[in-house]
Amino acid sequence: MSVIATYQLTKVFPGDVRAVDGVDFEVNAGEIFAFLGPNGAGKTTTIKMLNTLILPTSGTATVAGFDVVKNPAEVRKRVGYAAQDVGVDERATGRENLTLYGHFYRLDGKTIKQQVKELFELVGLTGDENRMVSTYSGGMRKRLDLAMGLIHQPQVIFLDEPTTGLDPQTRTHLWDYINKLAKTMGVAIFLTTHYMEEADHLADRIAIIDRGKIMTIGTSDELKRSIGGDVVTLTPPVEKDEERKEFVRRAEVALSGKPFVAQTKPADGELAVYVKDGGAAIPAIMQILSSQGIEVKTISMSRPSLDDVFLKYTGRTIRAQEGTRTTFVQLRRRENRRRTG
Amino acid sequence: MTSALFDTWYIVLRDLKARIRMPVFIFISLFQPILWLVLFTQIFKSLGGSISSVVGSGTSYLQFFAPGVIIMTVLFSSAFSGFATLMDIDAGILSKMLATPVTRVSIITGRVIATVLVGIIQALIVFIVAAIMGVHVATGAPGVLLVLLLVALLGMGFSAFSNGLALLFRRQETVMAVVNLITMPLQFMSTMMMPAQLLPHWLDVARHFNPVDYAIVSVRNLMQTGYVWSDLWKSLVVLCAFAVVMVAFGTLMFRTKAE
Repeated sequence: MSVIATYQLTKVFPGDVRAVDGVDFEVNAGEIFAFLGPNGAGKTTTIKMLNTLILPTSGTATVAGFDVVKNPAEVRKRVGYAAQDVGVDERATGRENLTLYGHFYRLDGKTIKQQVKELFELVGLTGDENRMVSTYSGGMRKRLDLAMGLIHQPQVIFLDEPTTGLDPQTRTHLWDYINKLAKTMGVAIFLTTHYMEEADHLADRIAIIDRGKIMTIGTSDELKRSIGGDVVTLTPPVEKDEERKEFVRRAEVALSGKPFVAQTKPADGELAVYVKDGGAAIPAIMQILSSQGIEVKTISMSRPSLDDVFLKYTGRTIRAQEGTRTTFVQLRRRENRRRTG
Repeated sequence: MTSALFDTWYIVLRDLKARIRMPVFIFISLFQPILWLVLFTQIFKSLGGSISSVVGSGTSYLQFFAPGVIIMTVLFSSAFSGFATLMDIDAGILSKMLATPVTRVSIITGRVIATVLVGIIQALIVFIVAAIMGVHVATGAPGVLLVLLLVALLGMGFSAFSNGLALLFRRQETVMAVVNLITMPLQFMSTMMMPAQLLPHWLDVARHFNPVDYAIVSVRNLMQTGYVWSDLWKSLVVLCAFAVVMVAFGTLMFRTKAE
C-alpha cells in the first residue's frame, strides 16, 4: 500500500522558477525512500508540498490517504516533520519541547507522558529530558527534533537533509536511529539528502532528482546496475582547467563509439568511461589513447557508485554542487552548537 | 474552537516560560521604567513650573510624566514582540509547528496574549516604583484596573502589528527599522512628554490620529484628575478599534505569509 503518491506534482515560484517540475512517485508503508539531489534540486519544496506547508502549483499528491490540497488538516495529523533547520526551542527543556507537540497533536496528558518516556529512550536521550535544549549538542538536538515528529505515531515522517552539518560520527549514529524508526514503528520515511552514502546506507529506494525533475527511481543496486558494468576514470597529467578540458575532449573523441565503451561522461576535468568489463577495457583504452598521443596521469577502475549513477543521469557530479547554499545564519547556529556541544 | 483555546494557552505558556528564563529580560523590564522615570524627571525638572501653570498647580513633572512612562514601557515591549516570531522563523520552529494540526491563528494570538500579560506586569511595576517616588492615583484601585485595560488594548495592537511585520519582512534589520520609524514619532506626536497646551498646533492636531495619545490622555486623567468620561470613552473606542485592526492585520499576514 502506498502512503505517498504524487501525480505530476509541480511548484512554480514567482519569476517562473520551476522548483519542482511534474514529479511522479509512490512511497510504500514502512519504506525508507530518499530524494537524492544537489541543493536547489527541489527536494525541500517537494517536502513542503507533501506536508502542507506550501500549495502545489499543479498536479496532485495524497499522503496517508488524504489529498494535500483538499484535506491538509487530515494530512497534518498523520505526518511528522524534521526540517533541515532543527526546529527545537532552545529556551525550553527537551521534555517541554516534546510535550508541546503532544498537545498540538491533541494527545491526552497520560499518553503524552508515556510517549515522552518511550521516545526519549528510542532516540537515546533518556536522562536529558529536563535539561535546557540550549545545552544540547547538535546531534542531540537533531534527535530531539526527530522525536518531536514522532509523538503522534505518524504514518509518514519527512526528514529534510537529516544529517547536514553533523560530524561523520554523529551522522552514522543518527542513521542507526532512523533505521530503527522504520523497523520498530513501521513508519514510512521520506528523506532528502545530497550525501550519496546516506542514500546508499539508509534508503530502500532512491529517486535521483535534479532541477525539479526525477531522473530515475530504483533501489541502490538497481541504479548501480543500470550503469551496466564498471567505471574507468581517466585523469590528465595537467593542472590548468583549459588543458584538462582539452584532455577530456580528445579522450572522449578517441573512445566514444568503440564497441566496449557503453558511455563516456566528462566530470570535473576527468573522464568517466562506462564499460562492461573494466579489466579487459583498461588495456584497450590505454592502447587507443597512446596511439593518439594522449597522455594519462592515472587510470582507475571502480564498481559504480551512486556518484556515477548521479553523473550518468544528470551529467554532473553531486560533489560539485555541495555546500553552495549555507547561509550566514546556519553557519552561526552551527558554530553555537559546536560550542555548546 | 476549544482546541484553538487550548493551543493558544500552550503557546502563551511557552512564551512566558521562555521570558522568565532570560534573567537579562527580567532585569531590563524592571530597570528600564525606573531609569526612564528618574532620567526624564531630572531632565525636565526645571519645566515643572511651566507645566503646573497649564495643568494645575502642585503638579510635579514626575506626576505628569509617570503615565507616559507606563505607556512608553508597554509600547516598546509590544512593538518589539515580533522579534520572538522572527527567532522562531530563523530557528525553523514556526514551520515545524505549522506542519502539526495546531490551530493556525493560535500561534499569533498566543504570542499577543503573552505580550499583553507581560505589558500588564510591567505597567504594575511602574505603578509601584512611581508610587514609591510619590506619584498618587486620583481614582484609586478601580482607576488602576482601567489603566491596565487601556494598556492591554494598546499592547495588543502593537504586538499584533509587530508580529505581522515579522511575517511580512522576515528580516530582523527591516523589522527593527520599521518599528523604530513608527514608534519614535508616535511618542513625540503625543502628550507623553508635554501637555497639549504646550505643543505646537500641528502636533496637537496630529496627536488625534495617534492611538498612543489616546492611551496617554486617559491614563493621565485617571492618575491625575479623576474620571473624565468623555475622554475615557473615546480612548476605549479608539484603542479597541486599533487592536481589532492590528490583530486582523497580524492574522492576515500569518495566514498568507507563514510557511
